[in-house]
Amino acid sequence: MKGLRKYLTPFAPDQSGAVSVLYELGGILVICDAGGCVGNVCGFDEPRWFSRKSAIFSAGLRDMDAILGRDDRLVAKLTSAVEKLDVSFAAIIGTPVPAVIGTDYKALGRMTEKKTGLPVLTIDTNGMDLYDKGQEKAWLALFKKFAVDEMPVEKGRVGIIGATPQDLSDLSAGDKLRQLFAADGKKAVCYGMGDGLDAVKQAASAEYNLVVSPSALETAKYLQKQFGTPYVVGYPLVRTMLPELDYTGKKVLIVHQQVLANALREELKMRGASEVKVCSWFDMKSELLEEGDVYLKEEDDFTELAADSKWDVIIADNCMTAMLPKFEGQFVWIRHFAVSGKLMQWKAGPAE
Amino acid sequence: MMQDAFFCTVGELAAMGRENIPPQFISGAHLIYSSPATLAFNSPGAEGFGVKRAGLAIPDSIMLIVAPGCCGRNTSLISSMREYDQRFFYLMMDETDIVTGRHLKKIPKAVKEICDSLEKKPSVVMICITCVDALLGTDMERVCRKAQEAAGLPVRPCYMYALTREGRKPPMVHVRQSLYSLLEPRKKKGNVVNLLGFFSPLVDDCELYDLLHQAGVKTIHEISACRDYEEYQTMSEANFNLVLHPEARFAAEDFHDRLKIPFIELTRLYQIDKIGSQYRAFGKVLGVTFDDQAAAESAQKAVDAFKAQYPETAFAVGECMNGDAFELSLALVRYGFKVPEIYGTITAENFIYIKQLAAISPETRVYSNMEPTMLYYDGGNSGVNMAIGKDAAYYHQNCPNVMWNQDRQPYGYAGVRRLFEALTEAENRWEEQP
Repeated sequence: MKGLRKYLTPFAPDQSGAVSVLYELGGILVICDAGGCVGNVCGFDEPRWFSRKSAIFSAGLRDMDAILGRDDRLVAKLTSAVEKLDVSFAAIIGTPVPAVIGTDYKALGRMTEKKTGLPVLTIDTNGMDLYDKGQEKAWLALFKKFAVDEMPVEKGRVGIIGATPQDLSDLSAGDKLRQLFAADGKKAVCYGMGDGLDAVKQAASAEYNLVVSPSALETAKYLQKQFGTPYVVGYPLVRTMLPELDYTGKKVLIVHQQVLANALREELKMRGASEVKVCSWFDMKSELLEEGDVYLKEEDDFTELAADSKWDVIIADNCMTAMLPKFEGQFVWIRHFAVSGKLMQWKAGPAE
Repeated sequence: MMQDAFFCTVGELAAMGRENIPPQFISGAHLIYSSPATLAFNSPGAEGFGVKRAGLAIPDSIMLIVAPGCCGRNTSLISSMREYDQRFFYLMMDETDIVTGRHLKKIPKAVKEICDSLEKKPSVVMICITCVDALLGTDMERVCRKAQEAAGLPVRPCYMYALTREGRKPPMVHVRQSLYSLLEPRKKKGNVVNLLGFFSPLVDDCELYDLLHQAGVKTIHEISACRDYEEYQTMSEANFNLVLHPEARFAAEDFHDRLKIPFIELTRLYQIDKIGSQYRAFGKVLGVTFDDQAAAESAQKAVDAFKAQYPETAFAVGECMNGDAFELSLALVRYGFKVPEIYGTITAENFIYIKQLAAISPETRVYSNMEPTMLYYDGGNSGVNMAIGKDAAYYHQNCPNVMWNQDRQPYGYAGVRRLFEALTEAENRWEEQP
């Protein structure tokens, strides 16, 4: 039945995606909710929250705020908080409540900017879309707001866009990517994972951008248009993610975010796999699709696809194992935080 | 730029009075800071008992969460507990559902499909709906009746309306009412009592069980201890209900109106003498005199033992624990300890403890976990050397702590004794650390 979930819990929503992008950048993040959404975002979808403080707040909406559309109250609360906190920008992030009452985010942003004197981002997430949609909106809003100055291109500087724990399921991914490029004599800047707002402001100085998740593709295109910065798509760390198995002649089904899955496909083909199909629960960009790739919406889409006996190997998050009790091939677990809410346990490996 | 967390001393708060509580302590007056110390407020379901977990207190029940995906996201934390395996299902709403309300038509079909797919039929299906349906004004009672017809078993609504958390009937009050709404009138038995308020039983050695037996009670029901649906139904045979948590008051009133079962309310306290007075008053209502001396003595012994070993303990007391932060602080100060800091929400009920604390420990600082400047809280010079509560433990990671937020509920003298035993154990463990 459409929309019915019997095995999997709901995936990370768009508001969690937006927070994931902005979490480390030193702004005040206000989730426009009654409290429950911020609890979900922080307590479940933001693994950095337990170890690293961030100015993240709930708007604390109550029924009468929603019924009467009291945006002025939110602006007043935000202004009062900004007076007490050392923050460089403010972001207002939507949830189902403002989506239902039709909050005018542009007006809310303008009012807040005027009152606080801070740059304000408004992300019109609604809690019904998935994390990648929220990330896409947040990446674009962030770079459009802050990456405004032309700068001379710095040779060897690589901008990495799209790195979040939701997508990469690894809190040290930023460091690993920086090290990888450093070994090649390049300076990688991993926006939102270790590199902050100043790096975003200097985006024009990158020699090229590396897009590591589909949600950053639109931003890479924007930066190309704005500053002429070229981009490539890929995730070089996949080489260390695949367990040592004999993939020769194997038919492999991968379920993950599209960029990481495509990078895995490339690696598997190099290791001798005969057929690799990519599918994803999340947005699949047409320019990154190969023939036969599949977008999954319902649980049945996946169980029917995986039921085909031709698959020798299925690569997916561990939580999907229970959906395939009759699968007799090799299950390789590679975590996807946005699906299971669990981080990668190094090293990923074949299911036991 | 102020870089200190806002606080008031207990003395200042008492002087200002209940009518003049500073806005920093009123959650609706400011943005609500999100830190691990406020998780229980922002997302009661993320730990302990929120609406989702509480809604499944009826034996063999299942829950269908009908909501935008974001509302059910953290449920996998609960689903991973063995007792909730295969008990949560989701019907996810999209924007079209919100505009057209078509999701409501899908609910009966979804309930039937789930029930048909399960090996064992559930006793009840709880339909959990969220803020979106609160705003849409959904008549969930009607939808549940339709679903009940389709599935052939009871279907009840469960409202996870965070928007109404400070209203007359917040979600945790509503869910308690919902849980008991399936009880049918039965013949009363004079020796049966229900304990209302918690979603897990009291600690095994709680003296309240013995005291009730002394009063002639033979059967004590707690919803979480019912083995099956039939046993749950026997709760309507009770002679009276004992309300142990104020959020169960509405449910108790419902019992009274619908099933003609009266109720008596008791408060969870950590002051040994006050526990005794409460039991005496309770006994008077029942027409008995309780013998609670042994239980009171063992509680006092635990307090004395801890005090003998750790007389200089200075506590930080948080609100994320099984008790009222202000009442527990008052108890600790009366036992002779220091309480430099409390993290709590001020209510009409606990202001009385603030006034009493002001007389004996006016310099105790009170912080609100939710206030924005808690981002800058630094407990380095607080003088605290032990923490009680999950929030207090988060702020004071460099001293021993007792979370005191376990599912099994500490109560009465047994609660005091167990708390001080836990404190002693935590101190000993801390000292043994390399």
